[in-house]
Amino acid sequence: MNADDHDLDFIRRQLRTAMLPWSGLELKNDLWPRMLRRMEEAPVRFGWFEALLAAAVVLAFAVFPELIPVVFYHL
Amino acid sequence: MRSHPFLRAYMAGVLLPTWFLPIMLTAFLIAHFTGHVPAGLERAIVFPMAVVPNLWGIWNALYVALGLRERLSLGIFGALLPVLLVPAGIALATALDLRFYSPRQAVVMLPVAMAVYYLVWKYGVAFLNRTVEQR
Repeated sequence: MNADDHDLDFIRRQLRTAMLPWSGLELKNDLWPRMLRRMEEAPVRFGWFEALLAAAVVLAFAVFPELIPVVFYHL
Repeated sequence: MRSHPFLRAYMAGVLLPTWFLPIMLTAFLIAHFTGHVPAGLERAIVFPMAVVPNLWGIWNALYVALGLRERLSLGIFGALLPVLLVPAGIALATALDLRFYSPRQAVVMLPVAMAVYYLVWKYGVAFLNRTVEQR
């Protein structure tokens, strides 16, 4: 064993003592089902029903402005 | 981040009404300084400040706890919350002797509140739930 090998061995031992082996090498949960669920999830869309609902709310506020503070009171 | 699902759901539910509160408070202060606020109305702030955000959080946690994600849209579940909130609001307003809206107005307002809640829960709360991986 020459001097370089000795130094490398010293560094190796120092690193091993400084960085303890990690026991949690295996994942506790399988992440693939979550990934699949996310891929299959329908994208959030603002459809005709939501547009109709938003228009109805705006119309209700325009016709009955006294409802605005009452609705805000419940938000 | 998979631990404490109910706490995460509660926090995601509480966030939007908590953000909305300063807007309401600003509107109230402006109205107060311009003299458009009836006397005693400041007591009404108790309801949106204390009751509403907590109920939103509990409602969202309940959605997770009951495992309704597969069976019921979050928008529809959120739209049901005014059915509880409106009578509670009337009860509190009556208890505090606030007469800024009548039970009849509340009945007229209920479908409007449900529509607003549907949209806010479907897009706002659902977004926050996705953000905290609470789906």
